[in-house]
Amino acid sequence: MLQKIRDLFIVIVTFIIIGLILFPFFWMIVSSLKPSTQLLTRELQFIGTQLTLKNYHGIIEVGFFHFILNSILVCTTATIICVGFIASPAAYAISRYRFSGRSSILAMVGFTQMFPWVILVTPVFMIFWALHLVNSYVGLIVVYIAITAPFSIYMLVGYFETIPKALDEAAVVDGCSPLGTIFRVILPISLPGLVATSAYTFAITWNEFIFALTLMTQTEKKTVPVGLANFLGQYTTDWGIVMAASVVATIPTAIFFLLLQRHLVAGLAVGAVKQ
Amino acid sequence: MSGARVRWRKAGGLHGARFYGYTLVLPAIALLIFFFFIPSFYNVELSFHKISLFETVRGRGKFVGLENFAKLIRDPEFYNALKNTTFWLTGATVGLRLLLGFVLALLLNSTALKRWRLADVGRILVFIPWGVPPVVAVTIWKWMLHSRYGVVNLIFQRLGLIQQPIFFLTDTSVVWISIILVIVWRELPFAVVTFLAGLQSIPQELYEVARIDGAGWFHELRYITIPLLKPVITIVAFMITIWTFNNFVYVWLFTRGGPGNFTHVLGTKVYFESFVNYKIGYGATFGVIMTVIMMVFALVYFSTLFKRSVNV
Repeated sequence: MLQKIRDLFIVIVTFIIIGLILFPFFWMIVSSLKPSTQLLTRELQFIGTQLTLKNYHGIIEVGFFHFILNSILVCTTATIICVGFIASPAAYAISRYRFSGRSSILAMVGFTQMFPWVILVTPVFMIFWALHLVNSYVGLIVVYIAITAPFSIYMLVGYFETIPKALDEAAVVDGCSPLGTIFRVILPISLPGLVATSAYTFAITWNEFIFALTLMTQTEKKTVPVGLANFLGQYTTDWGIVMAASVVATIPTAIFFLLLQRHLVAGLAVGAVKQ
Repeated sequence: MSGARVRWRKAGGLHGARFYGYTLVLPAIALLIFFFFIPSFYNVELSFHKISLFETVRGRGKFVGLENFAKLIRDPEFYNALKNTTFWLTGATVGLRLLLGFVLALLLNSTALKRWRLADVGRILVFIPWGVPPVVAVTIWKWMLHSRYGVVNLIFQRLGLIQQPIFFLTDTSVVWISIILVIVWRELPFAVVTFLAGLQSIPQELYEVARIDGAGWFHELRYITIPLLKPVITIVAFMITIWTFNNFVYVWLFTRGGPGNFTHVLGTKVYFESFVNYKIGYGATFGVIMTVIMMVFALVYFSTLFKRSVNV
């Protein structure tokens, strides 16, 4: 009996905290469904009486979908190139081959993973300006490949380590070239790891703000975070539209994080123990 | 094709591991050098120049030696940003995240939640803020903390806690609390989830043995949970400290460093000097100072990890 009361107490406390944590998320969704007359009021209404999808029409009118298309283009391309062509070969080599300089390469990857991006903003802008990569999709894609490569390599090394090396040896015996071993044997069975890494990479690039802000100065080239921040800077902020845009901006990352949270936790935990 | 194959095989003979190892790693290394190392050195060079953003088309500006650094150590704004970055942006939020993260992880790992089959649901729900982009997190809180129509002010007034609305974004006595609130809200799940993974890796038998010996709740926490979770806590503390110390997006989007220069941090100063004041050289100087601080921090981090792996 005493234990039941104690249990109940713990459950209630936990869910009160969780409720407080979720409230902002709930408030974003509710606010996105309210007409401006119900937003700009001094009356406290938790749900509101006349919910509407008008704000979602509104974000189409202000051109928010252009930012979404830009983000999808840049983030998808960067993710595919980063995970498929940069990180997985590197991670495979680090996991399978013992060559001199291997540990310093791992250290370098670890160091760049912690590297603060804001420090790079000024010099990268100057270099990209000289190379005519400012206001260019290619420029931003290159940046996104570079900033996500360290983490992708780490995650994939962790994943490849779980695949038995006997598999590689069997492939070689059967006459597979090293590249053939990677692309025909290892990558197909690493699909869950590749999907998790890609999703995480995509989420990082989707959220990225400071490079998108400095390198894309023309409105029609801007990505979702910068486009959203621009709405905030305006003098008369239309909060209904801003909240609707926020919901739309959250959808891809929220889906990825929820689907992959178990996997991410495992990856992070492995990384933490390994280091 | 077959000729190429033979050559692949031959190369795979004696020096194969080395050859393929380097070839496969090369694109990644080249990218990291091009993107992280060259700009870092270029940043140092920029910090020795007086150069305006408008001059970027024409050339490199004027070499001024250490003038930017001399200006920086006399600049009260630098010390203000350094203090804000250390105490408010990093110190307060990291401390709160570690504390709240630990408490929440303990609650989510408690037998009570498991008996009620709510542990999984709880974990997923706590995870949600991490799925919200930082820009959106700032947007939501700016709306919730709006001085006139924000739900927080409305609730406080309804409860009779305040008579006049609080100006969360412009009142210097509360603006840091608002920024800390946003950061802790969005970044807390990382701490909770890693702590939870750490708690779940502690063998249950330890607790059973302790219980047989008559240990209470507090003794289990003091002598089993905290010591065994310490490695995870250390790593999380280091990681989030580094990420937060260099953060730009929360302060910039929330207050633009305002009111006045009150909430500027080092990260916003780099951007502000380079792209708002158009002083590329001076902005780069802030970047160099941050790089030095980070290098020292990284050295401490790696040497701590190294020491531990030697001891264990």
